[in-house]
Amino acid sequence: MNLVRRWIPVLVASVVGVVVLLGSLFRANVWLVQARDLLVDWAIVLAGFALLLGILNILSVHGGRVVRVRKGWGYSLVLLGSATGLALVTAIQGPSAASTQVLVDMLIVPVGTALAALVLFVLVGAVFRMLRVRRDAASLLFLAVAVIVLLVSTPLVGWEWLAQPLRDWFLNVLSLAGMRGLVLGVALGTVITALRALLLGDWPRERRNVGGK
Amino acid sequence: MGLDPNLIAAVFWLGFSALVLLILLIARGRTGVRSAETRQLTAFRDLRRIVGESAEKGGTIHIALGSGGIAGEDAMVSLAGFQLLEALAADLVSYRTPPIVTVGDPTLLPWAQDVLRRAYEARDLADLYDPNRVSFVAPSPVAYAAGAAQFLDSEDVVANVVIGAFGAEVSLITEAASRRGVSQIAAAAAPQAIGTLYPATEHLAMGEELFAAGAQTSGLRRYVTSLEVQDVLRVVLVAAILASVLIAFLRGSP
Repeated sequence: MNLVRRWIPVLVASVVGVVVLLGSLFRANVWLVQARDLLVDWAIVLAGFALLLGILNILSVHGGRVVRVRKGWGYSLVLLGSATGLALVTAIQGPSAASTQVLVDMLIVPVGTALAALVLFVLVGAVFRMLRVRRDAASLLFLAVAVIVLLVSTPLVGWEWLAQPLRDWFLNVLSLAGMRGLVLGVALGTVITALRALLLGDWPRERRNVGGK
Repeated sequence: MGLDPNLIAAVFWLGFSALVLLILLIARGRTGVRSAETRQLTAFRDLRRIVGESAEKGGTIHIALGSGGIAGEDAMVSLAGFQLLEALAADLVSYRTPPIVTVGDPTLLPWAQDVLRRAYEARDLADLYDPNRVSFVAPSPVAYAAGAAQFLDSEDVVANVVIGAFGAEVSLITEAASRRGVSQIAAAAAPQAIGTLYPATEHLAMGEELFAAGAQTSGLRRYVTSLEVQDVLRVVLVAAILASVLIAFLRGSP
């Protein structure tokens, strides 16, 4: 029983993972590529069901909040109302109908854009807060670099001779070098985590007590 | 027809990594617990204390797992987040202060619920498990961040943990946490997220440090060994880069 419950899923997941990996590496092998494509198609279907579960989860979480009149229930009500309204319009008119597109273009896109624009102001606030509580060399360096890059990225009339090379140096030397180091490190971590999952079927699933206590 | 050099490099690197991983796992053993003496990261050092404090206050911890799914390029980053969730869920369920988990990709939802449910079952508390402690917020990263920030405002949260695939929008979550003055721990791999997280918290794991989350928080041998393999490979990679630079220099080519 333990074999079936514990090791069969691990074996299936590992074999599927290895086949998809090999299919991505050896693209000249028709059998591997076909097997990879089939498995990826199945994964897409499963992801579709996961989205359905996600929608039910949203309804359950926010519905519960409204029913129990918990803090923030008003926002949950707006969310449920909007979701239901949009779902009804889409179901009746179809996803590519003009009315559906109007809702997407006039409501969802502007709200998303506004939120994205808000990130800038949030960041400025975070930097000011950081300077209040963390006045160390690293924080000052962070601020100095941010200010310099912002300054040289603005059209400084008459100072282009300085701004242009300085901006290029910051972006193409300092920033790029740091980014490459970061990406290499992440790639290493990704490879090791993936190998552990593929070869050992090792993902968070087991019953353990933290720290062995 | 010659073989593609990129393919050879990829296969060699994967094979070499797998070999080092297997050798170290066999040498050190796969099961059990040992301290992660290889590295002590400030981001995770205070996590256990924060968990204890949240239990004392009777509040809970919000864990944001990001918008990376389990099928895309961010899958392994999400997996690292799950290692942390697994470790924290065990502690928090023991203290009867289960975390609030938010996810930005529906494929993470059943998995996160499963990790939380198993934490309850392992302590014979299955009756107390509430699947709504895990919430799928929205499929778009910005909407997810705004929605997760709302959870921080409306629930009794005393600490905020952000780990997974994020972009610059993560600052919406950390800003909500900062407004409430709760402790924050963050781990991200994307440079855009790191840049925005840096001013928000000093408990920040950057880039590959994110993959140390499991080892640092649970001490499980397989995670610690994995961290050691990462360190070995990094040395090999640095040596290979230096060697290639030296060879290019000696040949007089750029």
